[in-house]
This record gives sequence, C-alpha cells and structure tokens, in this order.
Amino acid sequence: MGKKASDKTSLYTEEELLEMVRLWVPPERVPGRVRIKDTSDFFQVDYDDVVVLGGVPYLVRNNEREGRFGIEDQQKFWVKRAIDLKTGRIKILKWTFWETFTGRIGSLVFECVRSPLKEARILNIVRGRPDFMQGETFMDAAGNPLRIMDFIHGKSLEDITLTLGASHEDYFFNHYPGLLSEFITAVEAIAFLHAHGEKHGDLRRDHLLKDNATGRYRWIDFDYNYRHRANKFSYDMFGLGNILIYITGRGDVTTHNLSHNAPDTLSGLDSDDLNIVFNYRVANLRKVYPYIPEPLNRVLLHFSAGASVYYLNTAELLADLKEAFSILK
Amino acid sequence: MNIEANSGARDKHLLIAIDDTQDSKRAILYVGEFLGGFPGFKITLLSIVQEPEEDFFRSEQERVSWINDKKKEMSGLLDKYRQVLIQSGFQEDKVDVKLCIGDAKSLSDMILSFQCDIGCCTVVVGRHHKSKTEEFLFGSISSQLIHEAKNCAVWVVE
Repeated sequence: MGKKASDKTSLYTEEELLEMVRLWVPPERVPGRVRIKDTSDFFQVDYDDVVVLGGVPYLVRNNEREGRFGIEDQQKFWVKRAIDLKTGRIKILKWTFWETFTGRIGSLVFECVRSPLKEARILNIVRGRPDFMQGETFMDAAGNPLRIMDFIHGKSLEDITLTLGASHEDYFFNHYPGLLSEFITAVEAIAFLHAHGEKHGDLRRDHLLKDNATGRYRWIDFDYNYRHRANKFSYDMFGLGNILIYITGRGDVTTHNLSHNAPDTLSGLDSDDLNIVFNYRVANLRKVYPYIPEPLNRVLLHFSAGASVYYLNTAELLADLKEAFSILK
Repeated sequence: MNIEANSGARDKHLLIAIDDTQDSKRAILYVGEFLGGFPGFKITLLSIVQEPEEDFFRSEQERVSWINDKKKEMSGLLDKYRQVLIQSGFQEDKVDVKLCIGDAKSLSDMILSFQCDIGCCTVVVGRHHKSKTEEFLFGSISSQLIHEAKNCAVWVVE
C-alpha cells in the first residue's frame, strides 16, 4: 500500500512554516500563527492548521463538500483541501472515515462500506494512469491510512454535458460523438480496474472530472464498496449505464419534464422504455430523439425496464459501444 | 426402464450448487425425488462461500472469524443435504460434498470452473426469485449459468 509513517511534528519551526505559507498564500490570508496538528483526529484539524505527512507540511484549508440528488451540499469533515507548502500545489487530504451503511434502491437492501483501504489499494493500482485521480497513502498518527490526492482542476462530465450544444440535435450531431469517444475511454479505465479485481463502487457522472492539465477525464472517489452477490461488477455496470443515458440525453430526460415539454412524446412511452432502476428517467431515448441510431439505442435499452439481457462486464458494453460509435463518426 | 446398475458404465455425475436459501433446499428435494433410488448417478454438493473483501471488516481477525463462521454454517448445511439425498435413495458413496472459498468475478464462473474440474454432466441450482432490478444490480446465478455453461446441462429448479 506504500504506507509510510507520518513525521514527527518537530521537523519545522513555526517561523519556517510561516515563511513557506507566505510563498503560496496571499498576504491578507496569511495567518498570524500556524499550529502543527496531530493527524490522528480529523475533527481536531482546522483551517490554517498544518499537518506534516511524509516530511511535507500541508496548510489545511476548507473541508470538501459533496451534493447529490438535490440534497444540499454536505461537508465531509474527513476530507480537507490543503496546500503542499513545499510546492504550492493543492492537495486533497482524506482521513480514514470507516463507515458501514445500508444501501437502498426501492425495496432492495444491500450492505455498503466506505473503506480507506479500498481507495488506497486502487491508488496503487492506477498510479501514473491519466484516467484516474492520483494520490499516495500515508499512515496518520493513529496508524490509519490517510490519502493525499492531487487536486484536479476541471469540470465534471455532468456539468460539461449540460453546457454543450444549442439544442439536443445540435449537441448530438456536433458534440456527442466526441463525448462518447471520451466516455468509451473512461469505460476502458473501469475495465482495467475490474481486470485487477477491483470495483469502483460509486460510478457517477460527477465522479468523472475532465482534468484541465491533460484534457482527459479522470475517475475520482473509489472508497465506496458494496457487498456483491452473484456478479461482482454488475453494480458498476449499472453506474456506467446511467452515465451513458445521461450523456446521450444531454442530461436526464424525465417523465416529469416530458409531461411539461413534450406530452405527446410521453404518451408514446411505456414502462419498458424507462430506466430499470430510476423509473422516472427515460432509457429508450430514440423515442424522444428519433435521430439516435438504432445500434446506440440498443445499448441504452440494456439499462431499460424492458431489458431481458444485461451487460455482465465492461467487455460486452465496450464491444457494443464501439460498434455504435463507428456509425456516429 | 432398466434400472439395473451397469458395472461397466460410468455414473452420471450431477453437481448441485447450494446456498443457505430455501431455493437450494427445493433443488435438493427435486433431485432426491427425481433420481433417488436409481443407480448410475453420482452427486456432488457444492457450496461456495464468497470471500469477503477486507473493506467490510475492521480487522483481519474479524474477517477470518466471519469466514470460519460461514464455513461452519455451510458445512452443516452440506452434511444435512447429503443426508437428505441418502435418505432419498442415493448410496452413501455416491454423494460427495465440497466447500469452496473464493472471490471470483461471478459465482456462476466458480460453479462452472468446478464443474469443469470434476467433469460432471449436469449442474443443478435452485432458482432465486428476484425482481428484475435485483437481477440487474447484483446478477443472477441461474441466468448466467444458462448463458455460459458449455458441455453440460443446467437444471434450474423452480
């Protein structure tokens, strides 16, 4: 796992640290004093504190936030933005927050966990790859894995999709082929992960960021895991399908929206046309946008309520996606 | 139908994959009722304990303890089902049990790999009655067996 012991806090004097802070922080933001904090408890580490890991001092900034499904952004106290005081680079520090919880989709209940060990394992597997976030794992003062991630400057696939094209038709013919090509590359990255026996665990459109530095998408946040059953990767396949439907529809095409904007189209849909899990989202998008070619729509239908066959692995999905893409080009 | 044992013929070998559900019990009872008392058949009862990832446990000790508990539970079940088949008319030396621990990408792959290793001609499973959503999200052993099995028959017991 590349574990390294965290350093003693006495490596730097307060004056040395303040000098380093002045290099990277605007004068009005330089604190009067900095305190080196023990890394064992993330609740004790606040804004303007310094933590030292692997010999490197990090000036802690704000807690990260995450919003989803319309829920207001929630602070993640165990995830803090920080400045590497040696290089000035922004990093994300992720403390151990081991959490088990029950996932629920309708009446379906499944065991989930947020595991620092899993993320640390995957960081090792994907080291140097342009399609995954990068980072290193150190042990905090309590002996738990603390991950230091490179901050990715860039927008999520979710946000990018919504900004492209003047209309869906314009988007589909002028922007979508490029986006689909990038998505195929992102699916290949997940295939790499699966080939190493690891699930991503939380494949979402906001967990795919386009890195401004490379112009390529990177998957982020691999610390979720779910207790799989008959097929280890089918929940990841569900995530990939949702993203594919999202980018193909240029956002979620919902029955609610159609009832307002295109009631005739809505009346032409039946329950089989909807997403197999989120049955307010349309999966059979060709019924809404008839210029979507059949081969591409057939891929989408694997994620619809009417499907009788599902993709069991990324290889099956990639084969169909590449065929559909060849027609779009 | 001639039900005399033919000493020169090899037994037809069935693999019954079981878990701790009533669906597996149905499969056992079906095979017992259908073939019990007929000579020329051999059964291997297989239980696969999915090796849980370390992520779900706070310590390796907790993980090992979980596996041991599960092995004990499934061992007991295998013995119980073996007795059911013997009481149905199978000879004692014609019913084997096998307990596997593993972390394959799918349970059906592990079953088929085992089927291939022991060279049995038929795989039997009880059908889990899942919703479409559940089958989509977590997979279905019986569906995957039907699609992926080669050189053997698959019985899915309703």
